[in-house]
Amino acid sequence: MTDLKLDGIGKKEILKFKNLSKEREKVITSTPLDNIKVEYNTSEIAHSLHPKLQYVKVIDIINESKDVKTFLLAPNDEKGTKKLAYFKAGQYISVRIRIGKCLYKRPYTLSCSPKLALENHYTITIKRKEEGVVSNYFFDNITIGSSFVVSAPNGTFCYERIRDAKNVIAIAGGSGITPFISMAEAINDQLLNFNLTILYGAKTTKDLIFKERLDKLCTNGRIKVKYILSEEESDKYERGFIEKETIEPYLAEENSFFVCGPMELYKHMNEVLKEYNLAKKFIRTDLFFSEIELRREEEFNVKIITKDKEFNISCNGQETLLSAIEKNGILVPSSCHVGVCGLCRSKLLSGKIKTFDSDIRASDKNLNYIHPCSSFPESDVVIKLPN
Amino acid sequence: MDNSYDVIVIGAGNAGLISALKLVKENKKVLILESNNVPGGFATSFIRGRFEFETSLQEIGGYGSSEKIGPIQKLFEKLEISDKINFINLTDAFHVYAKDKKEEYRMPFGIQEFINKMNEYVPGSDKAMKKFFILAEEVQKAIVFLEQDKNVNSKILSEQFPNFMKVAALSTDKVFKALKMPKKAAEILSTYWIYLGSPTSNLSFVHFASTVLSNLYLGAVIPEKRSHEISNILAEEITKNGGDIKYLSTVQEILFEEGKVCGVRLSDGKDFKSKHILFNGSPTFLYGKMIPKEYVPKEALKLTNSRVLGGRGFSIYLGLNQSPEDIGLTDYSYFINHSLDSNIEFENRSSIKNNSCVAIVLNNKNPHCSPAGTTLMTMTSVFFGDTFNNKVTEENYFELKNQIAENIINNFEETTGINIKSYIEEIEIASPVTYARYGGHPEGVIYGYKLTGLDNLLPRTLNKEKENFVPNVRICGGFDAWGNGFSNTYLSGYRAAKLTLLDMKGEEEA
Repeated sequence: MTDLKLDGIGKKEILKFKNLSKEREKVITSTPLDNIKVEYNTSEIAHSLHPKLQYVKVIDIINESKDVKTFLLAPNDEKGTKKLAYFKAGQYISVRIRIGKCLYKRPYTLSCSPKLALENHYTITIKRKEEGVVSNYFFDNITIGSSFVVSAPNGTFCYERIRDAKNVIAIAGGSGITPFISMAEAINDQLLNFNLTILYGAKTTKDLIFKERLDKLCTNGRIKVKYILSEEESDKYERGFIEKETIEPYLAEENSFFVCGPMELYKHMNEVLKEYNLAKKFIRTDLFFSEIELRREEEFNVKIITKDKEFNISCNGQETLLSAIEKNGILVPSSCHVGVCGLCRSKLLSGKIKTFDSDIRASDKNLNYIHPCSSFPESDVVIKLPN
Repeated sequence: MDNSYDVIVIGAGNAGLISALKLVKENKKVLILESNNVPGGFATSFIRGRFEFETSLQEIGGYGSSEKIGPIQKLFEKLEISDKINFINLTDAFHVYAKDKKEEYRMPFGIQEFINKMNEYVPGSDKAMKKFFILAEEVQKAIVFLEQDKNVNSKILSEQFPNFMKVAALSTDKVFKALKMPKKAAEILSTYWIYLGSPTSNLSFVHFASTVLSNLYLGAVIPEKRSHEISNILAEEITKNGGDIKYLSTVQEILFEEGKVCGVRLSDGKDFKSKHILFNGSPTFLYGKMIPKEYVPKEALKLTNSRVLGGRGFSIYLGLNQSPEDIGLTDYSYFINHSLDSNIEFENRSSIKNNSCVAIVLNNKNPHCSPAGTTLMTMTSVFFGDTFNNKVTEENYFELKNQIAENIINNFEETTGINIKSYIEEIEIASPVTYARYGGHPEGVIYGYKLTGLDNLLPRTLNKEKENFVPNVRICGGFDAWGNGFSNTYLSGYRAAKLTLLDMKGEEEA
């Protein structure tokens, strides 16, 4: 090897190399033998913001309307939950309810200011749906003192000040008001900083849940609410649905539109907003369950493989695989139920399904991974669950 | 069901996956236990709106091309996965900005190309640069030699690698001086320090030179479908070869029987048996809380306590609603620094006001990574020291995260003159808190332990066997000798698997 001339480097440096291990050992031996530090503020905050589970109990129930109730939750100390995780206005928790042998999980938006979480309370607001197993259970069986398990707060239907406009036009249909009451209260509590105009559509005055709270919040100059009733004539409120005309006045300046409500509202708003050529970044929708055409009403055989067991169940072409799995009492991780969070990611080993594939990672698509929460069988199928 | 295995791998990060694949290919019965629900650790992806974001990968150095086969490609070939993943070759080494002196430099791959370009920026630097690369080559050969023969015979070393011997214990700055490297050339070249996490004043020259050489000689690649593609293929191959991967399974404790490792216990109380453990995580938590105190030797505690945590991660994922061309983003990578002087820059990054970053515009090398007319852009920074840790509370968390992200984006805009903010359609921010949760490492560290002074590459490598404190528990990943990075962790996993195979062979013979 050529000897490179290296300025000022000689025998001393070579000796340094020979002594490297010895020197290292000296440093190590002289280190005090305390216990290893295993508690770090960052790690603890990670843990308190994202607990694996939270045990909660119901401490109050508020009747919002004939088919809507708000449940005030507190940590269930006896089960080991000392405090509730903080959250961002617009996020949801996944509620676990055991009915018979089945474990159901449902996402419910937190309908309170994040400040309430710091006082160790959450509220969730539930509308009774005719065929909703879980919502009916809540109305009929959950009382003050009931306890259950919820997930950490999750979801991205939130105001992001770096991304969104300073003015937000919230379009709420019925119980779709829940994320917006949380945002309005967060503004009022000075946790968020933007102007919020809520266009709130409901059937009748009686269906306008949170009205009193919203009216009070309007004394804060940054919050405005406009009520629109579809089935009641009133001098005070507009009559009809949220239409092109309702939205038009807000298109003049740069605004972000946040939409939350039933499927019909999404579809309608999609059409209305499309006409104005708004950039996609200014239109945000809550967990969007796009409709899939041509679902077949037919029973299919579904084989479910988990780490320890196999199950043979049946699933109708109009219901999601996750729903059939839950009904049969098979445990599977899940949270959002609309194909976004990825917790139920499973492998399709054979058969055909229908799904919206926009939320599946490119390489997962190649390897036949699916999200059972948003997949409908089109033939007999075999799937391998993540657990 | 039989719950005993030849080897249990804790953590399905890069190193854990590679080690498991090697072991199943050697017909060992292997179980991987992973806390998250997808493989890869930080090597994964996630979706927001119409974008699939890369979580961590900037480039895989040391892969090479069809003409120049690098160590990672060789490894992937040995494991029979190289033809299952689509790789894209990068063309430029880096584009670095220094805000303080309003400078910018764009450097190519290829050693001669790099020297030539440097000579354009710093006339007369070619002599020292050539010397640097000759020295780097010798250094690299010496490392390979040392890795094969652990019982260093300094006489042979002196004969074969005389220059290496002179610089082996020196910092990068000291060798720059000895090479009479012009200051500006040294600064531009040292841009690579950020990958290694230590300023050039106490960064081992050996580590620096071998990294630079391998990167510039072999170039770098990225997978077409984010690093999730690699992790997915690795997991797929492990399963195909009979390995078992359990997701959403967090190991709480390593179990012992008659003083010897006998298995692990999960947080849900389930036990699995094995005499061999490969641990893809931090020794801090391994020795600090997973191995019962009576089995942790004093030396392990002392060594762990003597080490310094490396960079804590902070990333901003941006889905932009215009094409890179329309926004004015021309490069794949932008290194946005305040100063080219790594010692000054290191200080900057030790403050909460740090707003430097490496920005990656994925579309500029992987045009179909997002829908036509959009851009996938990631800005990653690292905090050194515990500045973030000391500042963050549960209550200020969301706002602190926004403030830091805003500072970084603003600084990118000011430094490059390119507007980003108007185009943001999706944004996600990962802070040290996110990294602490997802990776499970102390304080949200993504760089392992700081490679510095006597905890540098060479002393770590030379003492590796001696510092394997708990028999049959082998550590791999970013906290291993070579530190963080895709190439290093892949190789770390492979080495750990081979050592475990040797451990097993030793047992059979005994």
